[in-house]
Amino acid sequence: MRALRKILVVDDDPVVGKSFDRVLSEKGYAVITARNGEEALKKLAEENYDAVFTDIKMPGMDGIQVAERVKARRPWIPVVIVTGYGTADNEARAEAAGVSGFLHKPLSPEMIEGSTQKALLEKDLAGAPATATETAAMPQPTAATEESAWKSVALVFAAPFVGLAYVVALPFIGLGMLAWMGAKALVPEKVARFLKNIALFFAAPFVALAYTIAFPFIGLGMLAWMGAKALVKRADSE
Amino acid sequence: MQKIYVHPLPVRIWHWTNAFGFVALIVTGLQIRYVDLISLMSFKAAVNLHNWVGFVLIGNFFVWLLFYLFSDKIKVYHPELSPMKHFRGSLRQLQYYGYGIFKGDPNPHHVSAYHKFNPLQSVTYQIVMLLLVPLQFFTGILLWDLKHFSGAVEFFGGVRVVDTVHVLLFIFFVAYIFGHAYLGSLGHTPTAHFKAMFTGYEEVETEVERGEPAQTLT
Ligand code: HEM
Repeated sequence: MRALRKILVVDDDPVVGKSFDRVLSEKGYAVITARNGEEALKKLAEENYDAVFTDIKMPGMDGIQVAERVKARRPWIPVVIVTGYGTADNEARAEAAGVSGFLHKPLSPEMIEGSTQKALLEKDLAGAPATATETAAMPQPTAATEESAWKSVALVFAAPFVGLAYVVALPFIGLGMLAWMGAKALVPEKVARFLKNIALFFAAPFVALAYTIAFPFIGLGMLAWMGAKALVKRADSE
Repeated sequence: MQKIYVHPLPVRIWHWTNAFGFVALIVTGLQIRYVDLISLMSFKAAVNLHNWVGFVLIGNFFVWLLFYLFSDKIKVYHPELSPMKHFRGSLRQLQYYGYGIFKGDPNPHHVSAYHKFNPLQSVTYQIVMLLLVPLQFFTGILLWDLKHFSGAVEFFGGVRVVDTVHVLLFIFFVAYIFGHAYLGSLGHTPTAHFKAMFTGYEEVETEVERGEPAQTLT
C-alpha cells in the first residue's frame, strides 16, 4: 500500500499545472489542477488535498482570496502562492491569510519538488488529520526478473559488511548529528543558510575534481553497461 | 523565445575584464617565457605589463568572488551532490557536443536562472574559478617577488616547482580559452552566448517552440 499525496494546483495557465504534474507525478504525488478559484474551492469541498499551490493573478477570484478561503475552511492545508513578481502589498495580504510560502517564477523542477516537500512537512509537523488517500494496492511486478534475484542474493552477502560499516560510522555520525542539532538550535536560519551556501561553494571544486577524475571510468563503465544490455536484448529477441 | 536574466552585472564586468586581461597576460607571458618567439615590446615592458595586469585581475577576481558569496546566485556554483545525476547529465552533454549537435538535436541542458550551467560547464567553472585561477594568482605573486617570498617558495619546493606550476597553468589557460570560446559559440546562433555575456539575458526557447516539455518551467 502506498499513500498517494494529493496536490491541487490552481492556475489559469495550464502550463503551470503540467509542470507540477511532470515533476511530482514521478515522485509519487497526484497532481490535480483547477483553472480558477471557484473550480478549486469546489474540488476542495469534494475531496481532501495535502497541499494547494495557487497563482495570484487569475480571472475572477485571485490567488490570495483562494488562500483565504482554503485557510478558513481547512486551516491545516498548506497553501503556497506561485507568482511571477511579488508586491509587498500582496505578500502582506498573503501572510495575513496564513500562506505557507511563495514560489517565484520561473519555476525549476527543484523548486517545485522542494516547496512541495516543505509544505507537506509543515503539515505533518502540525499534526493534521491524515488526509493521504490510500490507493489500491499497487500491483507488484510479478515477473521477478533474474536481475533482481541476483541482486537480492548479493545484498544478503553484502549485508554484514554494510552492517559493520554502519556500526563503525555510528559514533561519528551520531556526534555529527548532535553537533548539527546543536548548531541548528543556536544559529539563526538565515545565517545557517548563508554558511551552508558558502561551504558548498568552496567544496564545489573538490567535488568537481573527484567527478572529473572518475568520469572516464564511470563513462566507460556506463557505455559498457549499455552495450552489454543491448547485446543481451538482441540475443533474447533472436 | 523567452529571455531570462542569467549573468548579473558584476559577473559581466568581471568576465570581460578577466577575458581581456587573460589575453594580455598570455601575450606578455609568451614573450617573457619564450623570448625569441614574439617581441611586441621590450622585455622589460612585457614584465611590467604582465605584473600590472596580473594585479588588476587579482582585484577583479574579488568582484566575481564577493558577488557570488553574497548573492543567492551562489547556487549556480554549487556541486551536484547526486553522482548519478551528474554523470548521466555529463554523458548526455558530451554526446550532444560530440554527435547530437551535428545532427541538429536540441541541447539537453535547459538554462534557468539558478541552473545556468550544464554539468560539464559546472565542473569546469568550479575547478577553474576556485582552484586553478587562484593557484595561478598565488604562484604569480610568489614569482613576482621571489626574495620577499623566499620562505613560501622554499616551502613549496623551490622556484622550479612554483614556476613549473605557473607555466603549466598558463598552457592550460591557453587551451581553455580556445575550448571555452568554441563552446561559447554553440548557442542557438553563433553569437548568442557572447551577446548574453554582454546583456545579461540568455534567450531560451519556450516549451511550445521546442515542441517538447522543457526543464525550465513556465
Ligand atoms: C577571449 C576570451 C573569452 C571569451 C570569448 C569568453 C566567453 C564566454 C561566454 C560567452 C560566456 C557565457 C556562457 C557561459 O556561461 O558559459 C562565458 C562565461 C564564463 N567564462 Fe568566459 N570567455 C573568455 C575568457 C574567459 C577566461 C580567461 C576565463 C577564466 C579564466 C573565463 C571564465 C568564464 C566563467 C567562469 C564563466 C561563467 C561565468 C559565471 O556566470 O559565473 N572566460 N565566457
